[in-house]
Amino acid sequence: MSFKEAIESGKFVITAEVGPPKGTDITTMIHDMHILKGKIDAVNVTDNQSAVMRICSLAVCKIAMEQGLEPILQMTCRDRNRIGLQSDLLGASVLGIHNVLCMTGDHVTAGDQKGSKSVYDIESVQLLQVVDSLNKGKDMHGNELKGATSFYQGAVVTPEANPLEPQLMKFEKKVRVGANFFQTQAIYDIEKFKSFMAFARKSNTKIMAGLVVLKSVGMANFLNNNVPGIKVPPELIAELKAAGKEKALDTGLNITARHIKQLKDEKICDGVHIMAIGMEDKVPEILQRAGLL
Amino acid sequence: MIISKRKSHEDLMKSFKKYKSFFLIGCSECASLCGTGDVAAMKTMQEELEQEGKTVTGMMVPKTGCQTLGTKIELKKDKEACESAEAIVVMSCGAGTQSGVEIFPDKPVYPSNDTLFLGNMTRFQMFDERCSLCGECIIDQTGGICPITNCPKGLLNGPCGGMKDGNCEVSSEIKCAWVRIYERQKKVNELDKMNEILPPKDWSKKQNPHAMARQDKDKDKKEKKA
Repeated sequence: MSFKEAIESGKFVITAEVGPPKGTDITTMIHDMHILKGKIDAVNVTDNQSAVMRICSLAVCKIAMEQGLEPILQMTCRDRNRIGLQSDLLGASVLGIHNVLCMTGDHVTAGDQKGSKSVYDIESVQLLQVVDSLNKGKDMHGNELKGATSFYQGAVVTPEANPLEPQLMKFEKKVRVGANFFQTQAIYDIEKFKSFMAFARKSNTKIMAGLVVLKSVGMANFLNNNVPGIKVPPELIAELKAAGKEKALDTGLNITARHIKQLKDEKICDGVHIMAIGMEDKVPEILQRAGLL
Repeated sequence: MIISKRKSHEDLMKSFKKYKSFFLIGCSECASLCGTGDVAAMKTMQEELEQEGKTVTGMMVPKTGCQTLGTKIELKKDKEACESAEAIVVMSCGAGTQSGVEIFPDKPVYPSNDTLFLGNMTRFQMFDERCSLCGECIIDQTGGICPITNCPKGLLNGPCGGMKDGNCEVSSEIKCAWVRIYERQKKVNELDKMNEILPPKDWSKKQNPHAMARQDKDKDKKEKKA
């Protein structure tokens, strides 16, 4: 069953992510892909995440397919103008990549190519419109395509943005232009997430909760202080602290597993997106602890 | 106004290296307000050049440096001083410097400043960028606040995921343009406009080099004659 069929059928879907490496050595990445194979519904391939230059998402999506994984092409608007984006979308389509996650993209100031020119010719809402148009057989300027795409397009949302209302208004725009599914920014407070879901359920779209595995107290504090829209509640930090340094990662895996179980058992959302950030090999263990494997 | 900033002493001396004598041209408009093209800035430049063993044959502050014809006429009284200089230094913006290039077809013309942006002066010599001359104004849709300029990504349909506590991901010193637009629209009772999806910009409107002649210019002239 494809990712689209799974999520549309009401199955609680699981996605993880693979960050393409910087350089041509893909041994570790292939190893991680093997570990993930058969255990998740699809794998996100990030697009020069944090504006750090790496292998392009498109090439790694193709490799993921060859390794038996269904890819979700992450596509940001930072590095390509409308010609580049549409051209890459057509390219993805002919390579058999049919899931795309439309994002704005971190600003170049975050990355390792600081003097480069940001593009943002279009942005996430408009990129979703572009995908919709390509699916209908026309480019974004209305020119006929010889053969349409058939993308299942998704978007991102930050349920704990502060202030929240402008973010929710943008979420509604994304739904209006055809976002079939959302993967959220990392969430840690399930009760707060429930109130976001009460709002999101008014829209006809699928929501997957984003989960970032906590490795240490330091990481939790770092996320709280530096990453927009992420709030690790004090109870979880206390839990990591109580576990001690050696058991912190194990506790972090438990927390993620516990959240997955609760989100699924209480039917809070339609799936989860696990961002293991360098620990992709731990994803099966998390799923096992959540009772999903 | 056009905001300019003087280049460093080292960079200037490097670019002036070949020449010994200079004529300085400032500007009484933007560059004077920025302190980069007024008499005081020119005096400082003269001192720096003289310390390096160079000479200044004269200096002049035109009313509007980017008005090529006017500046050319104003420079007539300085004909000799200009001729005796090996090079011209223009202490205004990139436009003013290129007026100089047009006025002096046979002489090297150098800029002393970096031209930064179209700015609003918020307090004395404190400037903010609010408009980026995109060629097609959309701020009727965005509460009078330009997201093309005030959002480092120029986003048109709301804040990105990088917004943190109302501030921009690029710098916590910048307030998120879309949070500002949201607050403003709420205040002026136009929050419904935030639900409208703005289409991609037509960047052909910003295609440089621009040139424009007022369409009714000839009509005006005829009316004057009559």
